[in-house]
Amino acid sequence: MTELIRDSYRYRELIWALALKELKVRYKRSVLGFMWALLNPAFMMLVLTLVFSTIMRFAIPHYAIFLLSVLLPWTFFAQALSYGAEAIVGNGDLIKKVAVPKLVFPMAALVSNVINLLLSLIPLALLVPIMRHPFYWTWLYLPVPMLALAIFTLGAIFFFAAANVFYRDVSHILQVVLSAWFYVTPIIYPLDAIPAKYQWIFKLNPIIYVINGFRLSVYYGQLPKAPSILASFVCAFISLLIGFALFKKYQNSFVFYV
Amino acid sequence: MFSSSIVIRVENVTQRFRVIQERPDTLRELFSKLLRHQSSFHDFEAVKNASFEIPQGQTVGIIGRNGSGKSTLLKLIAGVYQPTAGRVEVKGSIAPLIELGAGFHHELTGRENILLNGLLMGYSKRDMREREQSIIDFADIGDFIDSPVKQYSSGMYARLAFAVATEVDPQILVVDEILGVGDMGFREKCFDRIRNFREAGKTILIVTHAMADVAKHCERAILIDHGSIIADGLSQEVIATYTNLMAPEVVGAH
Repeated sequence: MTELIRDSYRYRELIWALALKELKVRYKRSVLGFMWALLNPAFMMLVLTLVFSTIMRFAIPHYAIFLLSVLLPWTFFAQALSYGAEAIVGNGDLIKKVAVPKLVFPMAALVSNVINLLLSLIPLALLVPIMRHPFYWTWLYLPVPMLALAIFTLGAIFFFAAANVFYRDVSHILQVVLSAWFYVTPIIYPLDAIPAKYQWIFKLNPIIYVINGFRLSVYYGQLPKAPSILASFVCAFISLLIGFALFKKYQNSFVFYV
Repeated sequence: MFSSSIVIRVENVTQRFRVIQERPDTLRELFSKLLRHQSSFHDFEAVKNASFEIPQGQTVGIIGRNGSGKSTLLKLIAGVYQPTAGRVEVKGSIAPLIELGAGFHHELTGRENILLNGLLMGYSKRDMREREQSIIDFADIGDFIDSPVKQYSSGMYARLAFAVATEVDPQILVVDEILGVGDMGFREKCFDRIRNFREAGKTILIVTHAMADVAKHCERAILIDHGSIIADGLSQEVIATYTNLMAPEVVGAH
């Protein structure tokens, strides 16, 4: 773990440059360029808002904000993981020719998607007053669940990036896992919608605590309770410990398989 | 650890590769292989028990036929591979030109790639900003510096890559078979720079098939064949050994 912190710090400029490269390449040759990082979530919000305020009406007021407050962090998680799983395989050419710590690639995948997440919060912040939803001071709490989510995601990226080097099926399996995971996580529905006696099953889901932090602070204007915050960080660090241990164990063999 | 002037020490180094005829790339293949108890690989030693030391300031040519293990040896020295057995120690910064523009991204411009490549070699942003202009001057590719490198000719690519790798002022320069790409003017420029490096007391490793270059620029040569070092000494003598080694094949080909 000290290796992770030390190398991330030593190569911080490289990680940043790789993350920016990732974004630059993603938006290159499009007329609006970087604006797409804002426009994408904005259009998604527009569609969701229209659908849920006119066609499908739920008993939940301001459903679009209820949904987006956790859909945006979920999208970050799913996207960062999908990109991150390819972090080693996709940079195979580099890894075969340049002696550079392998962990810079998963880190860069994380950083570029964190930037995307931050940008996607801007249209959300605009939507809140438009829908006449109160703008709670608890928005200020968002950096905390974001940190937990980033750590959790990083661990998962390390895990899948390493596994994908040896078996390319992993990135396909990951897509299946993510789409199933989406529905068992209270994103489009509140946890209360689950009968009380089954709720404990849903609480085994490691991402539920951090997701809860986003929804409470943006939609309900509340702070999560201490055990829930603690649980979100415990899950995050378990993910990082497992993911990085696996990554570290196999990183010297990556060069032979990419 | 090091006697004062040794900058590269290779000690009983073996690099083993698992050569896979049909690697189980997917889980289905893995399961079916496991069920049938097949192993579909054999081990191949690209470098076998190699040992040598290079003192600071020496220019060494590494020669041998295709597939003899030269590039593997360079990659071991550059730290791309961790040896299967033995130890590789390198003292000082090393600029590995293993392949031209290895760190270049084709969508980024030349200027952006200068920074990225420098960071990949372990230099800081500030280092690279300071050197940017002299790199651009040396590469001498005009306005193309602000175009994506995918639009470059292979010569322009080589110029920029060589400029980046040498302008960062490494203590050890590793050059793998890259000087054949540029035109004559640029080749001269490169060899001028290599001469400057030699005069500055830097250590240079060159892999090439051009024996004339080895004879002209290297005081020492290492001949590697089938992964083993079979000659190591004055470049003239080692070149003679290499020529004799290759003679039967050259005759046979005609």
